Amino acid sequence: MTTTIRRGVSLYSYQQSQFFKELMLEDQIREVGQNLGGADGIELIDEMSLRYPEPGDDFRRQWFTWMDTYGTRPVAMDVGMDVLQFRDHVMTYEECADRLRHDIRLAKSLGFSNVRVLSVVPVEILVSALPLAESLDIRLGKEIHQPMNLEGREVGDILDVVERTGTKHLGIVPDLGIFQFRPSEVLLAWLERRGAQPTASTASVDLALLIRRGEAPFDLSPLARHTAGNLRSDFNRFLNTGQCEPDFASVFTAVKKYADDRVQDARDIDYRTVAEALMLSRTSADTLREIAPHVIHVHGKFNNMSPVPDAPGQYQEISIDYDAAIGALKAGGFNGYINSEYEGQRYFQDRGREDLMSEVDQVRRHQEMLRRLIAS
Amino acid sequence: MFDNFLIRPDSLRNEQRDGQTTGFTLAVRHANYRGCYLSLHNGYYLEVDGTEYPTSVQTFEINGKAPRTFDEIRTAVHEHWDYDDEGILHIAAPGGLAPGRHTIRLQQSVLAAYGYLPTDEEWVKNPPKPGSGAGSDKTPEIVTYTLDLTEAEAAR
Repeated sequence: MTTTIRRGVSLYSYQQSQFFKELMLEDQIREVGQNLGGADGIELIDEMSLRYPEPGDDFRRQWFTWMDTYGTRPVAMDVGMDVLQFRDHVMTYEECADRLRHDIRLAKSLGFSNVRVLSVVPVEILVSALPLAESLDIRLGKEIHQPMNLEGREVGDILDVVERTGTKHLGIVPDLGIFQFRPSEVLLAWLERRGAQPTASTASVDLALLIRRGEAPFDLSPLARHTAGNLRSDFNRFLNTGQCEPDFASVFTAVKKYADDRVQDARDIDYRTVAEALMLSRTSADTLREIAPHVIHVHGKFNNMSPVPDAPGQYQEISIDYDAAIGALKAGGFNGYINSEYEGQRYFQDRGREDLMSEVDQVRRHQEMLRRLIAS
Repeated sequence: MFDNFLIRPDSLRNEQRDGQTTGFTLAVRHANYRGCYLSLHNGYYLEVDGTEYPTSVQTFEINGKAPRTFDEIRTAVHEHWDYDDEGILHIAAPGGLAPGRHTIRLQQSVLAAYGYLPTDEEWVKNPPKPGSGAGSDKTPEIVTYTLDLTEAEAAR
């Protein structure tokens, strides 16, 4: 079967270069169009890359000129939802849908074909905005991000709407971090610089691999509907106050005990390190193959690309099962974009400017791997 | 995120009004990979050489407007603080800081999040106090900076 998976980059990957004003938006687009061996897809976050909420018509003209000049295509705009924006009340679903409708129009005005919404956006909000998306021919994709998985209600809710309405403008954006099976080596090194003991790192990897083999020493199902960020902050609350969401209490207590059994005089940072094993998704490649027709585009998440031993010029992500993920996308007939999404830069920002990672280099390495796995 | 880079290293200044040194200022950036509506910005935990400066003495200058208190900032519900932009944090502290080296501990509190959270209703009624880690999920620890205030800047 010939595969037509295409490659692009989420400009999220260049967040640090933009923070330091080393690569501004045009530089990032040029890098994608000229230096990545045929990648042409551009994905961006509206609140990172644009003057938001209205970038202006001069910007729009500039944007389309860049697309022509560098041979790139606007693939996806990623949008957010901060429900405390009004501060005097929590936004209703309809207020969230209004914001989404604004963002859909913004995406259309910049030539994007997909809008990615966050994994935690209730399906009712998507249904409310769907008529506008259909009328503008914008596809809405709900991101499925670790520790969620493809087997849970988030995907089921979307597929139910697709089945009920027959819409071609709603689907899934898998973040390949859901195929992560152990904490990243760069995350663990960062935690150790903050005082975590090496035994905590070992315990974290061991626990992750136990979970991968289906031998988890406790029930993890309460975690699957939550974002890693929210889980981390609630685990911190649990460590500080003993309080947490009732759903999480049994898991948090068990992971603390698991750490106490393996780490001498464990402190909060050790518990947090071990708890990283809970942030993984345990999803199945078979599910990805089955739902491939509903995949809008894919986030090629990675935290660290390291050289493949004895294979000069080839690179790997040792904590994410890319072989399985790309194999499933190919077998399922997926023919959209996989966009590189580098996230490991944050694990070096506790040190000096001279120790920061090169996002440009990391994305080039990731594109080498994608090119190779797509062609294989 | 951006732990060591949230304050521009050469940005510490004393501030004068009508010939009096009224306080000091720092230039700060988003502790995130994106901007957000300005209203979500909830102030700073700030400690200089062991003295804490609460949000009641903080004002924030952004988008070409005069410094605003955080009670005013929370009403800026349609104004955006863009990712690329530096804001100036003003601290009312009569006499300002002495010239020389200062140890600054800082945490930014921004009530931005991924969707609905269990704390939403509580934070409408009682916004968290900066420094508790609330509203700072990507930089959950208070970060320590060492900054110099030159004689020239101290005399401003």
